Amino acid sequence: MIMPIRCFTCGKVLASLFEEYKKRVYIEGEEPKKVLDDLGIRRYCCRRTIISHPVFMKDGEVKELIDEAAQYE
Amino acid sequence: MKIKFLELKDNYAKILFEDTKPYFVNAIRRTLIADIPKLAIETVTIYDNTSALFDEIIAHRLGLIPLPTHLDLLNFRKECSCGGKGCPSCTVHYTLSKEGECIVYSGDLRPEDPMWAVVDKNIPIVKLLKNQRLILEAEAELGIGKNHAKWQVVCGIGYKYHPVIEIDAEKCNLCGACVEACPRDILEIKRKKLSIKKIENCILCKSCMEACKKDAIEVWGDENRIIMQYETDGSLTAKDALKEALKILHKKYEELEKIL
Repeated sequence: MIMPIRCFTCGKVLASLFEEYKKRVYIEGEEPKKVLDDLGIRRYCCRRTIISHPVFMKDGEVKELIDEAAQYE
Repeated sequence: MKIKFLELKDNYAKILFEDTKPYFVNAIRRTLIADIPKLAIETVTIYDNTSALFDEIIAHRLGLIPLPTHLDLLNFRKECSCGGKGCPSCTVHYTLSKEGECIVYSGDLRPEDPMWAVVDKNIPIVKLLKNQRLILEAEAELGIGKNHAKWQVVCGIGYKYHPVIEIDAEKCNLCGACVEACPRDILEIKRKKLSIKKIENCILCKSCMEACKKDAIEVWGDENRIIMQYETDGSLTAKDALKEALKILHKKYEELEKIL
């Protein structure tokens, strides 16, 4: 739906890092490994929380499920 | 006991304890996780929410936002002189009012005093389309990690024995199998000798021992030297969190002494 605020396992705050990840990986096409290292995400629990968060492309923009659901109150 | 900071940043610490035992470091670890007080949003009054997310989800997301914690200014609500009603010395108020089209960020939470402003202002709470509104009031109070994960200051805390790698130069034939087997890239062959680059990075997996056909390398952990590392969520700095944990441990032992 929308990026979880913290890592499910360890509790590190991830939501604020996800926007940069989204931009660099899905738009600029960088290697996810490099971006995760740059953002200082060391543990594999946090890395899977970010990698496995679903997004899709629509009209050239990276969308999350909330963008679709937001039309319905 | 000797303590040395191998690495110390605002929100990250890597500490080496020498002349110690695992149970001692574990006491510090458990105090860091469960006993340090921290500020987090506990009560949310929602006046208007026409967003796609339910009130409960928004309240939950608000609770997880790390807030700056000035421990000298706050009491636990239960122990406060106001009797738990909520006064400036136990409760911090935030308001939020936003209308779409926009993303509501944690930075939009307005505190009554700027000193309580949210540290990480870029946490998205919800996305609003045109004519959707979110208006709410939130109360934050102190709590400890034992009661809810939102009051847990540290994340990803753990410790390991300091690695010891012993290389028998007489048996070693410099085949390089251990160098390739090491997942942490610690070993290297330099000037016809097998040497160790940065021993702290060793995770004691013993892949090199398995790879060596000559039994020339041995790896074990030194129980008396322990490396601990942890991150904080930003509500307290790594150093303050450790100081607070030691204070709490000290107090507990003092209480025990009084009983005896």
